[in-house]
Amino acid sequence: MGTQHVVTMLPGEGTGPEICEAVRLVIDASGVNIKWEYEDIGLDCLEKYGTLLPDKTVQNIAKNKVALKGPTTTPIGTGHKSANVTLRKVFDLYANVRPAKLIPVLKRPWDKIDIINFRENTEDSYAAIEHMVSDEVAQCLKVITWPGSYRIADFAFKWAKEQGRKKVFCVHKANIMKMTDGLFLDAFREVAKKYPDIESGDIIVDNCCMQLVRNPAQFDCLVLPNLYGDILTDLCAGLVGGLGFAPGANVGDGCAIFEAVHGSAPKYAGMKKVNPSAVLVSGVMMLRWLKEEAAADRITKAMFAVLDERKHVTYDVGGTATTDEYAQAIVDKMHAKA
Amino acid sequence: MPTFTETAKATKKKREIKLVGIDMYIITEKGIPKFDDIGPFKCEFISNRGTKVWPGFVSPDLLQVNWYRCRFMATKEVQDAEVNAFLDALTKKGWWWSAAQKLWNYDGEAGFSKAY
Repeated sequence: MGTQHVVTMLPGEGTGPEICEAVRLVIDASGVNIKWEYEDIGLDCLEKYGTLLPDKTVQNIAKNKVALKGPTTTPIGTGHKSANVTLRKVFDLYANVRPAKLIPVLKRPWDKIDIINFRENTEDSYAAIEHMVSDEVAQCLKVITWPGSYRIADFAFKWAKEQGRKKVFCVHKANIMKMTDGLFLDAFREVAKKYPDIESGDIIVDNCCMQLVRNPAQFDCLVLPNLYGDILTDLCAGLVGGLGFAPGANVGDGCAIFEAVHGSAPKYAGMKKVNPSAVLVSGVMMLRWLKEEAAADRITKAMFAVLDERKHVTYDVGGTATTDEYAQAIVDKMHAKA
Repeated sequence: MPTFTETAKATKKKREIKLVGIDMYIITEKGIPKFDDIGPFKCEFISNRGTKVWPGFVSPDLLQVNWYRCRFMATKEVQDAEVNAFLDALTKKGWWWSAAQKLWNYDGEAGFSKAY
């Protein structure tokens, strides 16, 4: 066993706990040494703590600086703040990293997609500055700042350089929003000068959407303001197999939280039938973040092999396996290859 | 036959509007502002880039820029003239502000968002 990592586990609610147990089974069997510390988050906390995100959970994440999170649900119309957004705000997790890579066994109409989206996670029209400025006009402020734009671009270029990526492009609408998106683009161009070995450029967001569905192979790394990023990351997830296989990370200077981006599917809670792959591949991202590349590779290979065999896969990919059976099949595959 | 625009405009409902506070956008290089009550207005919270930075916990990692939204709520019934006096007082205290947004309730419901 190598270095022990201490990781906060946030199972969330709905199907979250059963998914996270399956993911833990796989990660623990990969040869990595992780001490998991479980904390509460989400709807189930409301009755117990009066909040979706208890202070105890915040303190634990602050201590460990890395967390793996299951899905949570934000109640609509009750005035409670989203636990996800609050986490991003409290820890200033400004970089939402959303890779979109074709999974070989999931047949798609493209030969190659390997995109990393870097979505700015804290600004734009998500700054919660909204007013009814008259009785028939609502207004939402789109807040873009120079340091906020600069750091997400810098983060993206640094990540791209470390991963040996070739191109980083800025996605914007600066032809219309000349001040806000213009500032985002200016900061991106300033940062690009520091990375002369990486090709940089920019593309208008509507054109980017069209190009993504026509020829996604042309894209490598994309840097986006919050709102465009919210939309395009799901578009990219749809290109490669849907949210059920889409990993995500929210990263700041102080900590990183890895999570699937799908919902908690409460109607399936306790049935152990949902596919845990999105949380699992988010866990794989976390392992790479922890420099546990060998364990990450083992899990990825085993997962692809299980998907390829189609014997022990969940209903969403044409099988009948339970969440646990799918996870156990991945574990067995890892051991078989060892 | 009315046009779509005319039909849309005809759906407007009469709503009771009540002034209850002011969002002030303050520019400062000196960190999170501190305010005493100004007339009938009391500072309720301050946010930066949408994240609440006062009162309560602020992550040491949080990026703050030089532009703060400071929400002042009225502690009694107020009129527009008291907003003018408030702005004068704030300026005389040396605060440099970029914008002010009156906060209204519409039929008793807040017409403004909270901060995270």
